[in-house]
Amino acid sequence: MTDEIRAFLLAALTEMKYDVSDVDDDTVFGPAGLDVDSLGLAELAVRVEDRFAVAFDDDEAEELAMMTVGEFSRAVAARIAPASAH
Amino acid sequence: MSVRERVTVTGIGLVSPVGSTAAEVFDAVCDGRSGLSRPPAGHPLHGVLDVAAFAPAIDPASVLPGPESRVVDRSIVMVLRAAEDALADAGLRVGHDVDPYRVAAIVSGVGGLSTLEEQVLGRAGRGRFGVSPYMLPGTLPNMGAARIAIKFGIHGYTSSIGTACAAGAQSIGEALRILRAGEADVVLAGCAEAPLFPTFAYAFGNARALARGWADPAAASRPFDKRRNGLVLGEGAGVFVLERAAHAAARGAHRHADVLGWGATTDAHHPTTPRPDGAGAARCMRMAVRDAGLVPGDIGYVNAHGTSTRAGDTAELAAFTEVYGTGPPPLSSTKGVTGHLLGVSGVIEAAIAVEALRRGLLPPTHNLDDPERAGEVDHIRDKARAVAVDAVLSNSFGFGGHNVSLVLARPA
Repeated sequence: MTDEIRAFLLAALTEMKYDVSDVDDDTVFGPAGLDVDSLGLAELAVRVEDRFAVAFDDDEAEELAMMTVGEFSRAVAARIAPASAH
Repeated sequence: MSVRERVTVTGIGLVSPVGSTAAEVFDAVCDGRSGLSRPPAGHPLHGVLDVAAFAPAIDPASVLPGPESRVVDRSIVMVLRAAEDALADAGLRVGHDVDPYRVAAIVSGVGGLSTLEEQVLGRAGRGRFGVSPYMLPGTLPNMGAARIAIKFGIHGYTSSIGTACAAGAQSIGEALRILRAGEADVVLAGCAEAPLFPTFAYAFGNARALARGWADPAAASRPFDKRRNGLVLGEGAGVFVLERAAHAAARGAHRHADVLGWGATTDAHHPTTPRPDGAGAARCMRMAVRDAGLVPGDIGYVNAHGTSTRAGDTAELAAFTEVYGTGPPPLSSTKGVTGHLLGVSGVIEAAIAVEALRRGLLPPTHNLDDPERAGEVDHIRDKARAVAVDAVLSNSFGFGGHNVSLVLARPA
């Protein structure tokens, strides 16, 4: 699942015109890495909510800037897991 | 009477169907090179409109960083290009040639309505997941001014004026007010309109405001001609760099022309129809001339609003003859060539006024085969007229009954 989420994130970021050529699991979304601004992070969150039927609180969306691509992919996967167990 | 600060034009940047500089646009209107065409195959207006005035394509990524360029209205893209060109024309770098807090930007237009249309369609299809958080910075009408401020580091007063087709001229007028008051040294004043998308086109069409039934698209816009039957929608952007004349002189900048005065009145008559007797427009023209320290007889040329609608052109000629009676200055509307760029028309036409002053050449009204009030009004027809003039007046009128007149003059 994590691989699928990671691939989705990279595709979404590419569509949003971010350069993902040097991105790996350790790249952060914020200024130290991809440098996605607040609206970009908000859009990414909406896309993930739409695709994977999860929901983020407003403060969670803000914390995204501190996370790495790997951390976020695993966090989304963990959130999906309980539902898919049914 | 106190001596007023003289205000001068040091830079002009345009995005239009007929050129990107004042000289190119002026050549087109003098030579009758029409900016009107049928919507090309593949354009959202293909099959929606008979004729429109399209500006050249601009890659959003050429004026905005990648991610920001994705959900952004064409009006904002065009006005960023126009501002860039205007500042280059003025030879002005904000922060280098002028204190950033002494620079203002007044950039108008109806906002990014075609981008709003896209988002509405997205919402209708996919609910909240079809709406981008970038929609607000991509569409709000103040974002032209805001993005220009961000791009060029402008820290003074910024705003957007919402007076429809009078908004571009009013932005220049408000800039004059701010510069005269000493509240800024430089003002970027302009407008951007991107009305060429289906919802807007249908709205104008269903309001019976658009020209229709012309076999040759170039014949569709015919201000003051008896056979006119509506306006032709156009898109574009225009930005003026306006400067206190003393400030321009101190940095050795070239003065294209001076903005000498302006007037603004409101019809208070009907949301879309002008007052048939043109009383509000006449008062506006007189106000601009008086504000310029002139009398109506000092005006050597009038660039009319003249959109090619029946009611609008008739009311404007009524206003014009009310002000001038017998012995009027030559008059033309350049929208026969450019189409109607809504709020931007006031900026484009101020640029045409600048060129008319500079060259001593008055542009004609295109397609004016059978003029209204032929006996009373000195219509410039067929070709440009060589006359050196010292001052010109440009009219802009907007839905809502907003009237704005500008007076421009040769630098002194």
